[in-house]
Amino acid sequence: MPGATAPSPLWGGSGWGEFRRDAVLRLRLFSIVTESPLPASPRSKRSLASPRQGGGVFDYVARSSSKCAALGAVIALQVGAAQAGEAIITNQPADSVSVVDLDTMKSVAEIKIGGKPAGIALSPDKKTAYITAPEGKELIEVDATSRTVKRRLALTGGPLGIAAHPTRREVYVADWYEHKIAVIDAEKLTVAADIPVGQSPSGLAVTPDGALLLSADRDSNEVSFIDIATRKRLSGLAVGERPFGITIDAEGARAYTANVASDDVSVIDIAARKVVGTVKAGHKPYAVAVAKGKGFVTGQYSGTVEVFDATSLAPVATIEACDHPEGIEADGKGENVYVACWGDNIMLKIDAGSLKIAGKADVGDGPRAFGKFLR
Amino acid sequence: MLKRVALAVVIAGLMPVAASAHGPTRQKVTQTVEINAPADKVWAAVGKFQDMGWTGVFVKTEGTGDNGPGATRKLSLADGGTIDEKLNKYDDAGKTYSYEITKVDPKVLPVANYSSSISVKGDATKSTVEWKGAFYRSYGLNDPPPDQNDEAAVKGVTGAYTASLANLKKKLEGGS
Repeated sequence: MPGATAPSPLWGGSGWGEFRRDAVLRLRLFSIVTESPLPASPRSKRSLASPRQGGGVFDYVARSSSKCAALGAVIALQVGAAQAGEAIITNQPADSVSVVDLDTMKSVAEIKIGGKPAGIALSPDKKTAYITAPEGKELIEVDATSRTVKRRLALTGGPLGIAAHPTRREVYVADWYEHKIAVIDAEKLTVAADIPVGQSPSGLAVTPDGALLLSADRDSNEVSFIDIATRKRLSGLAVGERPFGITIDAEGARAYTANVASDDVSVIDIAARKVVGTVKAGHKPYAVAVAKGKGFVTGQYSGTVEVFDATSLAPVATIEACDHPEGIEADGKGENVYVACWGDNIMLKIDAGSLKIAGKADVGDGPRAFGKFLR
Repeated sequence: MLKRVALAVVIAGLMPVAASAHGPTRQKVTQTVEINAPADKVWAAVGKFQDMGWTGVFVKTEGTGDNGPGATRKLSLADGGTIDEKLNKYDDAGKTYSYEITKVDPKVLPVANYSSSISVKGDATKSTVEWKGAFYRSYGLNDPPPDQNDEAAVKGVTGAYTASLANLKKKLEGGS
């Protein structure tokens, strides 16, 4: 390799040039072979739940959503858009989750959890958040009411995508590196089973009746259909290139995958297990939300949210959103859509009717919120 | 030498077939520089997608498509390394553009799924140039070797941005 040891360009000390040296290359090859494939995952990080602002707003939210549900509903009707909910946003480089009050669009707590958290799912009663930490190789259970880490489960590979069962205490974690889905007993917080799927499973979603688990197998360009009762993969369905996020509509009729490499969305008829349409998305789409009869797709590189008609699949609008929009979810009534903006460290609120940006909340560094994060 | 080749073959055999998966955590690098020059002048220097001469780092920029949608460029380093890039958004009035890397050897820059934007803000006398990068490490599996881990990726990008912006400042404030 003549010239392999040539000095690097102007930023000589930065390290680029070093990569070109034979010796380093050989060392690298050697290290692949000799390094233990499963070093002990860091377990030193502990919960540092922030107690700040633990008072008024949250107390109100907790009351209206549990003890006084009926009154809450009346209030919501009277003031129209009142939601009295929260978003739990995973801030990956910040090693934390932000809790955002959806009425005030203010962050009311930031909980340090470690492990470079990315994926999130909520228990059926929405009191518990399950968060994947792909770097720490862990599943982290957070009590959303007290805002503290309850338990941690050490996993292997690359835990990323996650979904919770709508009724039973079960959580599903996709392993990006080991190409399987771990079924987690959420009561004991143990791995109950592993289900092999396609390559690099990413987003997961469960049908509202709790019968089927759908997995976006990114590097197989397929969606796996899994029978939850028997824990068996029933079939695979070819979709667009590199499906990442997957979302099932409230009726359980259709699923939508955001296909990172083909810049589109595959629309799946779940009962027929067929792709019934393909919709153009922004550049490098991440995930889809459905609200008011429309689909909303985040485009990471285009910084946009593309809106399409969920029936005709015709394009409706392009919303200039933010820097690297990622996780997206519609609230329970489908009035607003919330978006985690990785580059800007904010969560956006988009009015699903007017398609205007209706609010911004500051969150921690690098929010991803991959999954269902609204409670 | 034979031993090395044999080892490389063994390692290639261990690699998964679909190597498209990337590192688990996207990295973020933002570098800014203040320049005592009008924003229009600074934008005139940095706003041509196929001219990266202002960086002092890339000895040659070739490409097609001007500043239009889908324009491309190939950047060449002094030692022969190259980076292929594609323009995603160009906003002349807003003095900003965003682009992505479509092809790079990890030995040149150990990044994957790299997207970036450059913007110029300022007035008739003073400007701020901001360069933001979003990328994963080049090594797509767990336990990366030291020259392809997150730190190496961040170090490489930070080094390129810092050197380029310093060169731009020197060039524009030097009265040329």
